[in-house]
Amino acid sequence: MKRDDPKITWVQQPRLGPTGRSYLPLFVQGFRTTLRHLFRRKQTVQSPEVRHVPPDPLLYRGVHRLNRDERGRVKCVACFLCATACPAHCIDIIAAESPWPDREKYPESFTIDELRCIFCGMCEEACPVDAIELTSFYDLSGKSREEMIFDKEKLLSVYDQTKDSEPMRTKRGKSGEWRVESGEIRRNTGH
Amino acid sequence: MPLIEPLLKIAVLLAVLMTACAYLVLVERWMAAWVQDRLGPNRVGIPLTKWRVFGLGQPLADGVKLLAKAQITPSRVDKSLFLVAPVAILVAALAAFAVIPFGSVLPADVFPASWGIRKAIPLTVAPGLDVGMIYVFAVGSVAVYGVVLGGWASNDKFSFLGGMRSSAQLISYELPLGLGILGAVLASGSLRLDTIIERQAQSGTWNGFVQPLGFVVFCVAAFAEAARLPFDLPEAEQELVGGYHTEYSGIKLVMYMVAEFLHMITAAMLIVILFLGGWHFWGLTGSGDAITWPVALLRVIVLLGKVMAVILFFMLARWSWPRFRFDQLMDIGWKVMIPWGLVNLVAVAVWVEFGGVLSDASWLPAGAAMAIFGWCVLVLCWLLTVLADPTSIDNRPRIDMIRRAGGR
Repeated sequence: MKRDDPKITWVQQPRLGPTGRSYLPLFVQGFRTTLRHLFRRKQTVQSPEVRHVPPDPLLYRGVHRLNRDERGRVKCVACFLCATACPAHCIDIIAAESPWPDREKYPESFTIDELRCIFCGMCEEACPVDAIELTSFYDLSGKSREEMIFDKEKLLSVYDQTKDSEPMRTKRGKSGEWRVESGEIRRNTGH
Repeated sequence: MPLIEPLLKIAVLLAVLMTACAYLVLVERWMAAWVQDRLGPNRVGIPLTKWRVFGLGQPLADGVKLLAKAQITPSRVDKSLFLVAPVAILVAALAAFAVIPFGSVLPADVFPASWGIRKAIPLTVAPGLDVGMIYVFAVGSVAVYGVVLGGWASNDKFSFLGGMRSSAQLISYELPLGLGILGAVLASGSLRLDTIIERQAQSGTWNGFVQPLGFVVFCVAAFAEAARLPFDLPEAEQELVGGYHTEYSGIKLVMYMVAEFLHMITAAMLIVILFLGGWHFWGLTGSGDAITWPVALLRVIVLLGKVMAVILFFMLARWSWPRFRFDQLMDIGWKVMIPWGLVNLVAVAVWVEFGGVLSDASWLPAGAAMAIFGWCVLVLCWLLTVLADPTSIDNRPRIDMIRRAGGR
């Protein structure tokens, strides 16, 4: 970098006013903020005695689930859009010819490595048939790395466990009970 | 048996200081948590039971953890200096407490008559040291060596930068520290710490009230010497990964951390003794050495209470103001604090010489007259600094000079 480089814009440091130079207002401000917070109500949740509840379970990005359709079949059509969108490359799908007439393919195996996943929610966004979703279940643990690779059965069982507490986050299609409106998820009325 | 008394005092002092350091870490963590709307450590209680007692077992757990940790000595360090540095800083920090009084005296009638104690026992390890203040100051300077040696011996760029910054900072701020001490010493006419307290107790006016300028200078310098925020550039976790003790672990790191908290206690002690009246409190503690044991106890409590208050201020200050940039630190040290210290010294000298005449001429009591004089000096100095603005200097090349030299 040269001093006379025309790309450099020279900015002079703005001079503080007399109150700023005296340090006193800043001194008082800083200490007032400290004291205010010192006696404020504390935010800590005493986990594990008290369980932390995500403020909005429909927005929370926790463990994945694979949704079932009305007939209890996996909704996924093995289009690989989630695996493509995944920045952590944690989704592994093996597609097979579908045994049902309403779609061409279905996932013979569908595994998510929960240890690689960064819980960004891009799979959920990419899915065209609302098959993969994130739940508000956050405290998962396992005794080995293999145990943390969730297969299709496990992901479907997550759906079975959470389908009552958390309705589908579906944003499109005829089953759309929920919609996004100005950044919020709302229940559709008149269904 | 003249040796038993100081040895007992040293044993008590060491035990109290080490425990105090451990629990100050806990207090510091609580303060940090509360200021950030958290609860802080509240789980570890009495070992092997379910009693949590507000997390008071935390220091024990921390201590065991740090002592049990692996002692890593990086391969290319200067082995002897690497070992000497933490020892030096800890010894220097502990040595300062030899002359610092932690109360006034224990009257002789506290003890059973069979012990044969006739005189009151001063609550100082080395009582009556005539150069007490100089001793504290000299021993305090040795702490710089612990920091510089640690930074240099680690053979690591972060340690090195931390050590260099630290040496520049500690050496720079020793001047205002000395000037602040001089004001208090001049007003009391003695370098003995107990005499400095005694003078404040007799007159009832603490030095902090009558020479606020010296108080400000000394406080700022004490913060810088203890390397507390906003002057914690030697460590600056966000920039230097811990500074001079980056490479230290286990017991050596404990030594550094204990020394750090000892510095804070020393700084708080000195602020209280020099400027906030030591063990004196109006209507509670009286003055002089002829006291009963409840008063003696009260003096200890008052002194330690004041020290605790100052330490709490140290801890809250940490979360109130951002760290200074290094050039700002140097500017404040050399261009503001040293001139202020000099002005305070001259003002106190003038008052000591001519103050009697002035306060006799006015209807005010001597203490009040001196306080008004001191506060006027403070306000004048502060205003003058605001007007002159010595710290605002843009060190970058000036655009008009670049243009003149043919640039854009």
